[in-house]
Amino acid sequence: MRHPFLMSIASLVAVAAIFALTAEPAIGQTAKAAPAAKNGTQPKTPWGDPDLQGTWTSDDCIGTPLNRPANLGEKLYYTEEELAQRQTQLARQQENDRQETVTPGQRVGTGPPAHWGERARRPCKQTSLVVDPPNGRTPDLLPEAKTRRIPEGAGNNNPKADSWEDFSYYIRCITRGVTGSIFPVIYGNGQQIVQAPGYVTILQEMVHEARVIPVDGRPHASPNIRSYMGDARGHWEGNTLVVETTNFLGDRTGIAGNGGGTPTSDALKLTERYTRTGPNEIRYEVTIDDPKTFVAPFKVAFPLTQEPGYQNFEYACHEGNYAMFDSLSGARALEKRAAEAAKKK
Amino acid sequence: MSYRWRARIVLSAALVVLFTAMPSNGQTPARTSSQIPRMPDGKPNFTGLWQALGTANWDIRDHGAQPGPFIQLGATGAMPAGQGIVEGGEIPYTPAASAKQKENLQNRMKLDPEVKCYMPGIPRANYMAFPFQIVESQRDIAFAYEYATANRVVNMGKFREGAVDTWMGTSNGHWEGDTLVVDVSGLNGNSWFDRSGNFQTENTHVVERFTLGDADHINYEATIEDKTIYTRPWKISTVFYRRKEKNAQLNEFKCVEFVEELIYGDLKKK
Repeated sequence: MRHPFLMSIASLVAVAAIFALTAEPAIGQTAKAAPAAKNGTQPKTPWGDPDLQGTWTSDDCIGTPLNRPANLGEKLYYTEEELAQRQTQLARQQENDRQETVTPGQRVGTGPPAHWGERARRPCKQTSLVVDPPNGRTPDLLPEAKTRRIPEGAGNNNPKADSWEDFSYYIRCITRGVTGSIFPVIYGNGQQIVQAPGYVTILQEMVHEARVIPVDGRPHASPNIRSYMGDARGHWEGNTLVVETTNFLGDRTGIAGNGGGTPTSDALKLTERYTRTGPNEIRYEVTIDDPKTFVAPFKVAFPLTQEPGYQNFEYACHEGNYAMFDSLSGARALEKRAAEAAKKK
Repeated sequence: MSYRWRARIVLSAALVVLFTAMPSNGQTPARTSSQIPRMPDGKPNFTGLWQALGTANWDIRDHGAQPGPFIQLGATGAMPAGQGIVEGGEIPYTPAASAKQKENLQNRMKLDPEVKCYMPGIPRANYMAFPFQIVESQRDIAFAYEYATANRVVNMGKFREGAVDTWMGTSNGHWEGDTLVVDVSGLNGNSWFDRSGNFQTENTHVVERFTLGDADHINYEATIEDKTIYTRPWKISTVFYRRKEKNAQLNEFKCVEFVEELIYGDLKKK
């Protein structure tokens, strides 16, 4: 299931990324990048907070599975040799994408060209996004969670389309939830961080989220105020931004790319940690604790990187959600045709 | 005295002050109290939760009270009277554009993008009946609007043209003394100014001016030009108030879920 209108925006991003790969110095926005951390020093804002500002992306771990394949056991990181192999694969993919761009009409079929997606620029070092427990796999679901409905139209090629409610909150252009808005997916992984004294804001490209996170020590909002993106409160631990988010609506989005998977409950508590590990890299970690969904808390982590020329674009999802019109009207047309055929018999 | 009356008096007083204190060309930096929050480099700090009072989202022109479109809503759906925010009172539409505005108004429940939970565009996002959060860094300035989670980042660096036209446009800012000037271009033309069908096109260019009157008030002006529908540039001006409640914060209003039946209802399986 795709958003055709949005694809065009994604393609712009992808084209920008390809340009960035082929002609860095010409269009590189390096001057825009955060002041470089000099060998381990951390840039600070003029008011003294660690400075995490810039536009970041989780692109490098695109394609890395949430759950580690069982045969890899407790192996979290690829070897240097395996990474070199993956680097070769990436280079080949980039070359293919370029060929597609410069040779119009070469590709046949009804799907979008591959270069509309975003690409990793370097191989993801991890074998899974889940880093804890040591087997790299999401803990088991509690019995009560197993009965929760996962919308059938969430990425299925032949979805049930009786109503918009058969589709995921992502396809409906409502939200992907907190983790779904940062976990790497095929495109739209941009995270623009803007800080002010007392606030950190994370603007996320896909489905245009804006998380305004107070870092001034104020208490959480009343638990009676529930929302898709929850109530976030941040604080600094050394150079790490720690964000605790609660007050979620239950039974909406899950812990997977685009908010897919089994929906979490209203007891979900997320603890995210953003730590700058280099001038152009943040280590992102999130501990997922939902005592009504999983038998134990678990942790997901991956790098966010700052890339020359990469920027967020407006993702007017609902405004251009032709996919929803087309899916529903297509399903009604098929029913009508079937009814007419039955009448003829 | 009712809340609304107090609000109206406060707004009227503020507008009177604004109109009398400011030269009509608006180019002279507005007078600013020294008691305003400032960033470490001395620039005004607009960070905070702000909201317009008044009824501009109903009609940016002067208007009397009117019944609402649905009898079921009773008094809650009616349109309150209010002073407009258009300087001089009238929007200088060309005759064709004026006719289109009237047609928009006739069909507003069908055509107003706000009804469908579409992004409100600029300047409308600023004076809807929802708060917005400004997050001002030492460089760029983020605006997060509660309605529809609309947002924009004002680029304070080198001027950057938008790659594509968008609902919220492309915002490039700079400082003129203590005034934040934001140039908004690349609007896609689908936005309205209010619920009364006042509209813009993809050629509309908006220049906004934000000035802190004191710690808790932003004097806001915007100049709007579009040769295709207006006979001359025109200006709106209003005031944004800092939300002072102890627990005030930006909440979530993801309205898509509230409009799906309206938009897709006829495509549901019977």
